[in-house]
Amino acid sequence: MMLIKQTTIICALGIMFTVAADAAPISTNTALPVAKGEYVFREQIIFNQSGDDPSTLDRDHQVSVSASVLGYGVMPDLALFGVLPIVYKRLELPTAGVTRQAGGVGDARIFARYTLFQQDAPGQTFRIAPFLGVELPTGENTKRDALGRLPMSVQPGSGSWDPFGGVILTYQTRDFEIDMLASYQANTEASNFEFGDVARLDGSLQYRLWPRELSEDTSAFVYGVTEFNLIHQEKNQVLNVSNPNSGGTTVFGLIGLQYVNKRQIFEVALQAPLVQDLNGTALERDYILRGSVRVNF
Amino acid sequence: MNHTKFARFFRRTFLPLVVGVVLVASTNVWAGTTHRIGVDGLACPFCAYGVEKQLMSIPGVKSVKVTVKSGTVIVTMQDGAKLSRGRAGQAVKDAGFSMRSFK
Repeated sequence: MMLIKQTTIICALGIMFTVAADAAPISTNTALPVAKGEYVFREQIIFNQSGDDPSTLDRDHQVSVSASVLGYGVMPDLALFGVLPIVYKRLELPTAGVTRQAGGVGDARIFARYTLFQQDAPGQTFRIAPFLGVELPTGENTKRDALGRLPMSVQPGSGSWDPFGGVILTYQTRDFEIDMLASYQANTEASNFEFGDVARLDGSLQYRLWPRELSEDTSAFVYGVTEFNLIHQEKNQVLNVSNPNSGGTTVFGLIGLQYVNKRQIFEVALQAPLVQDLNGTALERDYILRGSVRVNF
Repeated sequence: MNHTKFARFFRRTFLPLVVGVVLVASTNVWAGTTHRIGVDGLACPFCAYGVEKQLMSIPGVKSVKVTVKSGTVIVTMQDGAKLSRGRAGQAVKDAGFSMRSFK
């Protein structure tokens, strides 16, 4: 079982900040508005594959997430968001002939975003919006199978209340959009386990591929999307002792395609690690697939 | 003016004149007015829906057409309804954008 406990994937990262319900980024957030009294809904399917094991265990870890996001415009400057993930996690240890898996509701997230600065001009806008929220312990963190309690990398939830906050910068024109996001999540302890805190720097560029020229009747865009995510996670702690095979720094790159009309956004993306500097024998990420639909109503 | 001449005058001149005046008057008074609103910050179709919905929620608004290319919104009012600059500006602001012009 010690071998299984050494599986210290940054499991929370798969669904972190997949919360943008407005137009724009795929793996991060935007400062674009949610109109007062209006709702924006997003359903995102995410598949994480991790199988590049620096240890001799040949571990293979998969996380599938269906994340439902609802945004509501309280005021033109203030929007509230809620994220409810349904997760399925599977860990294979072929050398030991063991597969462990669990599914269910993951940890929900709620947060508020306030537009602190807004500069509008014809066909363009620049906004700065800080946000603050908390990840709730809605997912189970004590699931068991025939072998005993599942490792935390397989549990649907963390069991902890984890506050997070950050700031988003968005510059949008009719031709392209740039979003930058800096954030920090302070993970807390639950059931003698604490995920390491997470610091992130995300960037997104969406470039209008179609139509090349706008007309008076243009009502839909197709964007090409490229993003990066610099993610650093501190080591996890078990019984207040740091796990040397956990945490580290990863830089992801993402390419995607996005169809945007007045009421919906459809998008697909492939995200892959460009740089992984993980601690010890932490399992490395192979790729992440994302598909999403957003609806304005 | 004898009776025959009066009848001819009534039929050929007075009646068409009255009908014409009524038609012109009704066009000016009852036809829905149209406003052209310039919106700053509007740059994609998804955001345009918020502007459209906020303006459509104003009583008396018949239709709204948002053009992303020019950042303009054409608002057509129902017969007899009026839209003030202040009310239009508030709707644009509630959508998260800024009103540039109102005509």
